[in-house]
Amino acid sequence: MILQQILNGIVLGAVYALFALGYTLVFGVLDILNLAHAAIFTAAAFTALALAARGMPLPLAFAAAVALAGFAGILLDRVAFAPLRARNAGTLAPLISSIGAGIVIVGILRGVFGPDEHRFALGTAGDAQLHAGPLTFGVIDLVVVVTALVFMLALSYVMRATPLGRNIRAVADDRIAASLLGVDLERTIALTFFIASALGGAAGILIGLQYNSVSVEMGSRIELKGLAVIVLGGMGSITGAVVGAFILGAVETLSVAFISSSYRDAVAFGVMFAILVLRPRGLFGKRALRTA
Amino acid sequence: MQGKLVWSTALAAVLAAAPALGANSVAGKTVKVGVIADTSGAAGAYGSAQKNAYALAADDIKAGLLDAGGATIVFDVQDAASDPAQVVNLTQKFATDGSALLVGPTLSAEAKKADPIAVRAGLTILATSNTAEGITAMGPCVFRNSLAEAQVVPEAVAAAVAKWKPKTAAIIYGDDNQFTKTDYDIFQAALQKAHVELVDVETYHTGDVDFKAQLTKIAAKRPDVLVVGSLVEEAAKIVTQAKQVGLNAHVIGGNGLNSPKFMELAGGAAEGVVIGAAYFIGNSSPGNRAFVERYTKRFGAGPDQFAAQSYAAAQIVAHAVKEGATTSDALCAAFKRATSVPTVLGPVGFEASRDVRAPSAILEVMHGAFTAFK
Repeated sequence: MILQQILNGIVLGAVYALFALGYTLVFGVLDILNLAHAAIFTAAAFTALALAARGMPLPLAFAAAVALAGFAGILLDRVAFAPLRARNAGTLAPLISSIGAGIVIVGILRGVFGPDEHRFALGTAGDAQLHAGPLTFGVIDLVVVVTALVFMLALSYVMRATPLGRNIRAVADDRIAASLLGVDLERTIALTFFIASALGGAAGILIGLQYNSVSVEMGSRIELKGLAVIVLGGMGSITGAVVGAFILGAVETLSVAFISSSYRDAVAFGVMFAILVLRPRGLFGKRALRTA
Repeated sequence: MQGKLVWSTALAAVLAAAPALGANSVAGKTVKVGVIADTSGAAGAYGSAQKNAYALAADDIKAGLLDAGGATIVFDVQDAASDPAQVVNLTQKFATDGSALLVGPTLSAEAKKADPIAVRAGLTILATSNTAEGITAMGPCVFRNSLAEAQVVPEAVAAAVAKWKPKTAAIIYGDDNQFTKTDYDIFQAALQKAHVELVDVETYHTGDVDFKAQLTKIAAKRPDVLVVGSLVEEAAKIVTQAKQVGLNAHVIGGNGLNSPKFMELAGGAAEGVVIGAAYFIGNSSPGNRAFVERYTKRFGAGPDQFAAQSYAAAQIVAHAVKEGATTSDALCAAFKRATSVPTVLGPVGFEASRDVRAPSAILEVMHGAFTAFK
């Protein structure tokens, strides 16, 4: 049972990691929390669902919805963040405008799809179960774990070894200096939003497939955990987001296995609190958050 | 002169009262019913079904399919958005805007906030989906037409135990919701009474999507029966994931699973699940089949229990209005007199405690549909 529980924890951690990657990327670059990330996550899941329901093959629906999520991210930046950035509005105003944008997106989704939970047609994601010794897991679980790891590695590579990554890191380090050195600020930020939102969208679709459940509430359910994960991992750190996510998944699962399901969230957040007391900047944070 | 006036007044009174015995006294009158339903937010799926039912009922009354003695009944359905503060605001609105009756709100926890306000304002209340303990005790004119879990679950457990003869059971339930918590209490008592040993109890929070940790733990204890104290969204995932972690126990659940949505979401994993319920979509009550057909045609999916109980509430109100009750007090009195109003749930009456007296159903999912459990 313990091996199965560890596997359950890894799968759950991969889910959190997928969501947290895009979240932490935007924070790393702009020092702002994009609270509309969860709404884009939800919108992408609905988009893929709607496309698949109209007969589009799932991989194609996935790719289309991910691309749309990326463009939605650019649009989000233009509408909710860019005007405030142009006026040097600090970090709190964009926080509020992203909450507003999130509410608008979810409101539109509710209007179009209704409050009910939706599902992909049975068998869309492959309901096959794999057995390895005493362990049982779904094909889709494997896909989610592998995707989370691939995205993490790809994102690390892009950040470390490509001109775009260098630009993003330069903007993250010092926006004004980067701009003076010839980095196209708005273009870099737009691309950051594209990548972050595409990642968030991919997370929404995969999680929708994994639990075969797509609803307007799905974003708000994962939002707080995603936030906890990126704080734990170190704000802005990509490795940190993934490690933090696996820690949260493992602690949640093991607290059910060995303590009590009633105390799951209390134990999980208690452990995170303890880690942050010992390491206030998070596991992989480069600097402590500025105190007010 | 004086005598003549008395006589003519008396005559007028008799003339006015006479039709009350017939069916025409309320013809042309309008009775306003305030409905609080969560058509959005966490309980949005339930409130939407309720809203649909009132829209259908209002049209059925206009079309003469539902007899309200010629009166018009306006169902003013307002969305509380699953927000307690909004529930309070709407209750205050209905307490002062000439409504003769408050129907709702959707959740028991909301009723505990709304009902005291309505009771103070002298507004009669008919709850259609509040199954927690103590709802009707909040006031002398607080009624409910929904069977409580305590009325349906013990019968379902007894029937399942008689058929499966299980020795052990495990329960998983939502510990942050009044309804699912009540489910746990009632199931636990019913299992104890049936001498079934409880080998594990696990909990989750509303909105959770991953139950594998809890189910893996339960699977290790190999219970004969898995009890699911849950609403439909979580229940569908629980039965699906139970199969995925290799937990192949019989599954039994409460009223919360009684929705076509359960099979839609759980697919094949729903097969064989037994539930104690307040409404069976295939029941043979007069008018039920026509209701199911009209509802399905109009809204694209069959009515769930929430829709049926709401439509039944409209039938009960129409019945009372037809008897001449158009004010809050008169409706309260008419409900108290009701012993066997024909509704889509079957004949419905009220106990002295203002709880409903109605037939319950024990259902099993077979070939993707609810059938009577035998």
